[in-house]
Amino acid sequence: MIGEFIDGPLWNFALTVFVIGVIWRIGSILLSGVRNDLAEPKGSAGSGAFRALFSRFVPERTVTKRGKLQLIAGYAFHLGLFALLFFAQPHIDFFAQRITGFSWPAMPYWAFIVSAELAFAGLIFLWLYRLLNPVTRLLSDLDDHVGSILVFLVMLSGCLALAQSFEVLRLLHLLLAELLLIYFPFSKLMHAFTFVMSRGYTGATMGRKGVNA
Amino acid sequence: MIYKRERISRRMGRISFTGLLVFLLLYSLPLEIVAEETKGSREMPSVMVLNPAAELWRDVRQREGGNIGISQVRGVDSGVLINANGDRWRKFRMEQLIPIGGSILVGVFVLLGIFYMVRGKVPIEGGQSDRKLFRYSTYERMIHWFVASIFLFLAITGLILLFGRPVLIPLMGKEAFSVLASACKEGHNLMGPLFLVAVVLIFVRFVRRNIYQKGDLSWLLRGGGIIGNKHVPSNFFNMGEKSMFWLLILVGSLIIASGLVLVFPLFGQGREWMELAHVAHALGALLMIVVIMGHIYIGSVGMEGALEGMTTGYCDLNWAKEHHDHWATEVVERGEDVSNEAVERLRRNEPPSSVQLHLQEHGK
Repeated sequence: MIGEFIDGPLWNFALTVFVIGVIWRIGSILLSGVRNDLAEPKGSAGSGAFRALFSRFVPERTVTKRGKLQLIAGYAFHLGLFALLFFAQPHIDFFAQRITGFSWPAMPYWAFIVSAELAFAGLIFLWLYRLLNPVTRLLSDLDDHVGSILVFLVMLSGCLALAQSFEVLRLLHLLLAELLLIYFPFSKLMHAFTFVMSRGYTGATMGRKGVNA
Repeated sequence: MIYKRERISRRMGRISFTGLLVFLLLYSLPLEIVAEETKGSREMPSVMVLNPAAELWRDVRQREGGNIGISQVRGVDSGVLINANGDRWRKFRMEQLIPIGGSILVGVFVLLGIFYMVRGKVPIEGGQSDRKLFRYSTYERMIHWFVASIFLFLAITGLILLFGRPVLIPLMGKEAFSVLASACKEGHNLMGPLFLVAVVLIFVRFVRRNIYQKGDLSWLLRGGGIIGNKHVPSNFFNMGEKSMFWLLILVGSLIIASGLVLVFPLFGQGREWMELAHVAHALGALLMIVVIMGHIYIGSVGMEGALEGMTTGYCDLNWAKEHHDHWATEVVERGEDVSNEAVERLRRNEPPSSVQLHLQEHGK
């Protein structure tokens, strides 16, 4: 009974909230517009936006020096999670069955394990840093902690269900993933989408001014 | 005429009777001899008749080991039908490891409880001072809590796997336990390699401060001050902490190595290696759990001020003087002690004064 609910109506509801919520958030950002810059452009806004979008993946030297651990943990977590989400065989099967209707090649089992290790280590380190460093603790609010805990629980329940032998464990993983989907559009987890606009806006502004930033 | 016929008839009858007797005698004679021989054979040693099936099963059982057969199945130990050592390992696990290991864990827990009731929380004798000493950096606290969280997860899941059958099945039933055991096994296997990362980070960061030095032995001989009322001076880490560090590194390495042997059967290790690895893994982990129970006891309810260094990074000056006298003296002499107020502000999630000032200026 509960299983059917998690597998059916709750999944549809969570997906709907996620899709509408994300579109609404992105739409509201795009529709807010930008201030009219009357100054004569000294460079291309488009190329500035494009450059900033990708150049920001490589951190500044000062950041590399001072925050080596956050940098490594950040990349480990995000890349690991991305690989797990889109290239783990059970997830591909799920996407093909429920959303896309087609599948794509999955990563081998050893790569799955490495991705999971990286994602877990990265997330635990980043969360500990958030809790233990006075500055990040000051900057963090409840949303940051709820987001971190939810992502961790989804990952953990997924790894506990790895044997794929028990329906209860799969449903637990799915339930937590659904809670995350519902929470996602209302939280800072939206940075998964908004980073493009954020970098693009900064890059375009600077590009128009002819600043290589 | 009639008389003659009667005589012939009687003679024929006598002959027939005699023939019958002779026949019976001759017939019964060999039976008697065979019967006698059978009686005699019970007292004689038996004749060994080789049973080919017995030989077959002796080879299958392979009590002596080393008699490996040939199989079409490719793989380690695929030529071994029955591993006799497996039974020995199973008996050790079921009859010694689980009951004795469980008793030790419960015993240590009870002992710590009794110790707490007798000794209570060890206070800072001089009380909390108004000065703090910087003890652990953010990175050091991070790797400490990283190894702590991974260890606790592995310990809980490992104990469920080891003691689940006798302890949890009677409480939750077989079906629920099978789900829990599967989850624990997958979680334990996946998180296990992270313990390797954690131990390496701990080793690299803390090894220099954990090398034994002068004064450590006297700390040990005086029971670390926890028995009795006198505090024993020590360095940044005392003998107990240093020993725990080396235990974590050495026993932790054993646990990690044996765990990798168990999780990744890719290096040609057979069943006997796996059994050996399991025993080493379980014994090492039980030892570490017992030690960490003591560590958690001191850090939580056993001693005032002991946890502070690992949460805020700062420790109380009086606590440092009582437990790490040599180090505290050095830090104070260098003038690196800070006010309690500055540290308390951090603990209350308030920005330090310099940041606050900056924010106010920015607001104007």
